[in-house]
Amino acid sequence: MKALWIKLVASLFAAASLSAARGEDTVKVGILHSLSGTMAISETSLRDILIFTFDEINAKGGVLGKKIEPVVADGASDWPLFAEKAEQLLTKDKVSAVFGCWTSVSRKSVLPVFEKNKGLLFYPVQYEGEEMSPNIFYTAEAVNQQATPAVDYLLKEGYKKFYLIGTDYVYPQTTNLVLLEYLLSKGIPIANIGGGFRKDAKGEIISAGKYTPFGHTDFQQIVAEIKEFSAGGKACVINTINGDSNVPFFKEIAAAGIKSDNCPIVSFSLSEDEFRALPTKDLIGHLGCWTYFMSLDTPANKKFVGDFQTWLTKTDYPGIKKENRVTCSPMVLSYDGVYLWKAAVEKAGSFEVPKVMAALQGGLSFDGPGGKVTSQKNHHMTKNVYIGETLPTGQFQVVKSFDNVVGEPFLKGTFKKKK
Amino acid sequence: MMRARLLAIGLCLAGLGKLSAHEASKGSAVLAQAVLANGEERTKLLDEFGTEAAFADSALVETWRRGEIWIAQLPDGTSEAIVYNGQSGTGAASAVRLRDAATITFDLAQAGPSNPDRASRKLLVKLTNVLALKHPSDRNRADAAKEIGLQQDEEGLRVLEEQLPKQTSDAARRGFEEGIALAQLKLTMGEDRIKAVNKLGELASLTSRDQLTAMLSEETAKPAEEQDAALIKAVSTALGLIASHQKVVDGVATLFRGLSLGSVLLVVALGLAITFGLMGVINMAHGEFITIGGYTCFLVQSWFISHYGSSGSSFDRYFMVSLPLCFLAAAWVGWLVEWCIVRHLYHRPLESLLATWGLSMILQQAFRLKFGAANVQVSSPSWLAGNYDFMGITLGWNRLFVIAFALVILLGTLLVMAKTRVGLQLRAVMQNRRMAASLGIRTARMNGLTFAFGSGLAGLAGAFLSQLGNVGPSMGQSYIVDSFMIVTVGGVGNLIGAALSALGIGTVDQMLQPLLGPVMGKITTLLAIILLLQWKPGGLFPSRSRNLEG
Repeated sequence: MKALWIKLVASLFAAASLSAARGEDTVKVGILHSLSGTMAISETSLRDILIFTFDEINAKGGVLGKKIEPVVADGASDWPLFAEKAEQLLTKDKVSAVFGCWTSVSRKSVLPVFEKNKGLLFYPVQYEGEEMSPNIFYTAEAVNQQATPAVDYLLKEGYKKFYLIGTDYVYPQTTNLVLLEYLLSKGIPIANIGGGFRKDAKGEIISAGKYTPFGHTDFQQIVAEIKEFSAGGKACVINTINGDSNVPFFKEIAAAGIKSDNCPIVSFSLSEDEFRALPTKDLIGHLGCWTYFMSLDTPANKKFVGDFQTWLTKTDYPGIKKENRVTCSPMVLSYDGVYLWKAAVEKAGSFEVPKVMAALQGGLSFDGPGGKVTSQKNHHMTKNVYIGETLPTGQFQVVKSFDNVVGEPFLKGTFKKKK
Repeated sequence: MMRARLLAIGLCLAGLGKLSAHEASKGSAVLAQAVLANGEERTKLLDEFGTEAAFADSALVETWRRGEIWIAQLPDGTSEAIVYNGQSGTGAASAVRLRDAATITFDLAQAGPSNPDRASRKLLVKLTNVLALKHPSDRNRADAAKEIGLQQDEEGLRVLEEQLPKQTSDAARRGFEEGIALAQLKLTMGEDRIKAVNKLGELASLTSRDQLTAMLSEETAKPAEEQDAALIKAVSTALGLIASHQKVVDGVATLFRGLSLGSVLLVVALGLAITFGLMGVINMAHGEFITIGGYTCFLVQSWFISHYGSSGSSFDRYFMVSLPLCFLAAAWVGWLVEWCIVRHLYHRPLESLLATWGLSMILQQAFRLKFGAANVQVSSPSWLAGNYDFMGITLGWNRLFVIAFALVILLGTLLVMAKTRVGLQLRAVMQNRRMAASLGIRTARMNGLTFAFGSGLAGLAGAFLSQLGNVGPSMGQSYIVDSFMIVTVGGVGNLIGAALSALGIGTVDQMLQPLLGPVMGKITTLLAIILLLQWKPGGLFPSRSRNLEG
């Protein structure tokens, strides 16, 4: 017990002396990601890129002359803990902005905390839309910056049948409902949409597509269904399966002899970062749709990738994996978010959240690795959308790009069914 | 030497017959130019490749798709297309030149893989389909014929009609007839079209179902006087035939899938049926023995990759090599665990539950420290990757393998138990420890051996699971509940009961899935199990072993 007291006092002293040493010329910024638990595999990369971005900005003089001091909180893949950590960041550490969250459920869990404490959260991962909090800025891809452009591309390529499959949670369910409306509005008959429907008592469709639990491993039945569905040609699969379940899914697809030439699969949750743990030879030619690819051949991207790799070799930040690192869309959207925040702070001349948000809503641009991004009044971002096919190396090759797509979160019910 | 190896790879992957270097060279020279060209020129060259190429060249196309054709910049400023199956890096390397199969050396830093773009790939698919009409395997020829028929162009129809009389086997002829009828659906009218529809019905062609359905709705949407009654009748009959055939196929396929899922569950649970069922140890670390098997398989694979490259027949052997090693590794750890922990807790089930649960967490953390938190992948050997088509039912090799594998280890275990001296002693110890001890059996040693054997079986399960998904620190966790469920349902202490319950649960799960979806299917299965255990608390085949009472 005595030892504990000594430790506590000592750490208090240390904390006090630290903040005294850094003094007035730093600004605290929060990072709120899962560094342990099931989501750590994806979210740790976002922590890394944020630390990199802060180092990059600090090396050039910081924001409004202040160096960024990161405060890292571990959400531990535990959604209530995310809310607790957010509360701590906002009330105890008094950070000026927070960059964080991956899953929609973690975002939904911290949302009331940010609204109550008038904080500012930047959210970087593709999501289902239907949300616009005054205290969150969504650098993420909205459904119309990922799912609908991908469908447009497939329609243009002549595909007429769409099979929807996903993991059973809010993002795939909502996205597929929006896609169902979108496909119907494009004249695709409902009989050509596979995966099944669930209707409520009034006969309205409340769920479209096939859903599996998290961590599902047995895809025999589903793949057999896809094989039957695609037997007549001109069919494709829209995949919103999350995480490791993709491995048995794609292995089963390959074993059933379904190839990307006959029946391409477009996946919305698989980026370069996830490919590191996937059997890429089973994925050749299947499609992905993001607002950034590591393979983009632009000077800005080359410099970004190069700088990140160099930083990785030099950094002494604890716990950063240095080998086989790649960059991907959620990482770049985190990076873009920090720079937009910096621009907004500089425009507002202040770190106060209402002023910064007002500056963001006024429309600020940043030339990021994936092309120019511009903040919008509705808290989303205008950006380029790329469709790519998977190479054996686990990279994408761009097959189609859409420039300056405006982010639109509210899509449900906006598409009119064609007669 | 290199060339021979290259050929071996090609043969392995495409399952071709003989392939002589001379034949390949004419098409490969054009293909080499196409690889180096871009845009329209590439399209032109690929067309030329289509006319020049021999059947054997389709293997090269497959090589290109897999990213194993590279472009190397040579010191004299020219570029060459080479066949190279290795990692990028720096330094000198040697490979076979695509255009004339000569071996050249090049600088790795100045080379990179070439990837056919989407447009080229589409062209190549058409070309390889035409080439595949000459494939030695009936199934590949039939598949290619269907693909060409589905394109529904005059050119394809002509080729198929030309090739049909040359088909000697029944399977191939059916494929060609289906392809021809598919093309005729669009290209002919009146009587001929009705004949094609009848043919498709007769062949129970699933491929044509979408088009027939569309035809039917189009025709019935017309005003009554314009409808072609004969066509409507033919299409409806054909659709009926296809549907009834499909029903049979679905039924049989579901049974097969149930069998294969049941086998996976059996492989996973058999080890526990011994440690928990026979010995009565509630071993919460059973999942981690599975994980040990998975990581052993990964390590063996990594060793093979570093010695033999990541494809080819030598690499494919890794799985067979890893199986005994997975068993031994898990068995050894199991023996250690028994000696250090479990043997002190035989009469204290609650403590053994807590101790093994703690052990499970320690092991998981150890895997995390050694192999990292991210999952690692084990790629399947090529002989497990394909499938066998039986009357429209796709039987994956990996699925057939797991069924055979489950059968072998079940029979092996039963034989050890029933026919060997060790098995006899083991059963004696499990039935009445004190009596066995007084008859001179070294019960402590038997306990250790039994626990090690059960753990080794879990290791084998891990090796197999690595072929279905990724290997990760917590992979065993997802199977521990299933394992206990199977052993309990089957009747604790009864190996045959465990086998039957695994197959039963697998089949029920697969039958419910199409009706209720994966999530509700699983819930319903679990509910059924709860009800079953209410009805039969001892499981399906309760055994009267005494160690459960004392």
